[in-house]
Amino acid sequence: MTATAAPTTFPRAWRTARVTPLAELLAPGRIAATAVRLGLQVFLVTCLWRALYAGTHSSAGLVKEQAVSYAVLAALATRIRGLDRGAGRDTVIQHIQYGTIVYWFLRPVPPQRYYLYRALGDQAYGFAWAAVAYALCRLTGVLQAPASAGAGAAFAVSLLLGQIVLYYLTLLIDLLCFWTIQNNSALLILQFAQNLLSGAYAPLWFFPGWFVAMSAVLPFQSTLNVPLSLYIGRIPLSDLPAQLAVQAVWVLLLALLTRLLWRRAAARVVSQGG
Amino acid sequence: MRAAIEARGLTKTFSTTKRQPGLRGTLRSLVAPQRVSKTAVEDVSFSVATGELVALLGPNGAGKSTTIKMLTGILTPTSGEASVVGTVPYRERERNARNIGAVFGQRSQLWWDLPARESFTILRDIYGVGEAEHAARLREFDDLLELSSFWDTRIRHLSLGQRVRCDLAAALLHDPPVVFLDEPTIGMDVVVKEQVRRFLRHQVEERGRTVLLTTHDMTEVERLAERVVLINHGRIVLDGTLDEIRQRFGGGWRVNATVLGENRVPCPEGLRILHEEGPRLVFGPGRGSELTPHQALKRIIECYDVADIAVEESDLEDVMRTAYLREAA
Repeated sequence: MTATAAPTTFPRAWRTARVTPLAELLAPGRIAATAVRLGLQVFLVTCLWRALYAGTHSSAGLVKEQAVSYAVLAALATRIRGLDRGAGRDTVIQHIQYGTIVYWFLRPVPPQRYYLYRALGDQAYGFAWAAVAYALCRLTGVLQAPASAGAGAAFAVSLLLGQIVLYYLTLLIDLLCFWTIQNNSALLILQFAQNLLSGAYAPLWFFPGWFVAMSAVLPFQSTLNVPLSLYIGRIPLSDLPAQLAVQAVWVLLLALLTRLLWRRAAARVVSQGG
Repeated sequence: MRAAIEARGLTKTFSTTKRQPGLRGTLRSLVAPQRVSKTAVEDVSFSVATGELVALLGPNGAGKSTTIKMLTGILTPTSGEASVVGTVPYRERERNARNIGAVFGQRSQLWWDLPARESFTILRDIYGVGEAEHAARLREFDDLLELSSFWDTRIRHLSLGQRVRCDLAAALLHDPPVVFLDEPTIGMDVVVKEQVRRFLRHQVEERGRTVLLTTHDMTEVERLAERVVLINHGRIVLDGTLDEIRQRFGGGWRVNATVLGENRVPCPEGLRILHEEGPRLVFGPGRGSELTPHQALKRIIECYDVADIAVEESDLEDVMRTAYLREAA
């Protein structure tokens, strides 16, 4: 028995990132269900957008191929980090409800770091799915190539920033659980707002001007509409610096806000006791 | 011997909003909330020596869990000081985390969707335990808790007894010198309880771990604890060995007798009838009486025509009941 605080080897807490992929691999049924769901989603959005463009060549500044590509990419990108993280009973709200959040504060890894590792693992796992599905969609001609090599690179950078914004938005809602205990309603609102205002339901270009103006001051469009519009060439590369700057500002603001909330949340656990 | 756990004047006061009944009351609580303070633990001081197993006992709501949460660093005391293996738990959380293991009743720290063995591997990574050391410790825990028969099953499919055994192993995988167990055997069957007790005895006697245990199971206390700290209404009311507690609150007895013929004889001096059902009578010591069970038997036999008689001396559960009631009065 070691009566000392030192670890015996260098801690590899980052390996907690593999929890979700491991759990999924141990449940082939879940993998099959995800594959079927994703395949169906891609098939249906392709049919829908092709049908919508049956009588027109261009709408909202998008031609059929661009609209279909946007919709398919949106379906794939939402897979990167779905909001159905409850299956493994390792969400903040579940731990607060079951009284097991105390264990997050009893380990030598701070809870915010553990949360980050888990989220990174989930996002990397989701990205693997999206990447495989992207390759298949490209091979079958469902998805067009990026508007240009530059657009492809811009898409990759913007998608990365968008995923960071999404991470912080999800974290923000999770942290609210420390005050509200129940935040199912907040999660549903976030899910709806995220899908609508990010452009997951339909490209934001199809919405009225006031809606687009409102979206521009919210963080949601940074997660999907900006990278996807760069991919299909609807946002020109000349706008890239401004778009990336907006995304970076959201990353910074949300990082500061969630950092503050983590500190308050920890103090709340300390004062109220798990 | 050096103290592994020390609590000095620990006090914890919670501040909550008082809810008023009805819609008007709810609105008033929102506009002008009325804050109320409740002291859960007051001036609690005790210490646990290295390699000692101490039971922290008390009725529900006595302040046991709050005390344990302050000692594990989850709660910061309103006043007072705590030290666990030389660390102030609520100030140096990460350092403290390596020194302690904890199990909170049926609340599992294991990953619901993964087999137990995978959870152990994740904890190995979190605590930075070497692979050979981890494997050796798992073997030891398997010998004592028979984990290998179910450790490849996902946590969600394990029975309560299996899950708690896994949780106990998980809490000790990083070899902590101090272990906090908050009602670890609650809801378990007797066979598993005994296995867990053997495991805990082994950890204390062979591995020299210090254990602070809360439980309502007096058999567990009798089998495991060398010392008992009794807490009630947030205050320590007794700190001593089981023998000391028996001497102070024990000494209770009852005599069950079946009498023949007319039993309307006056109750013998120094005794009182606690229960009467036909020919069966239950006697207890009269108010202020210091009769021994032997003297009571003699008096009952002298007064009655007895067909059957038996003495029932109070067990630890009775002793604790007396202690809780007397200290609450």
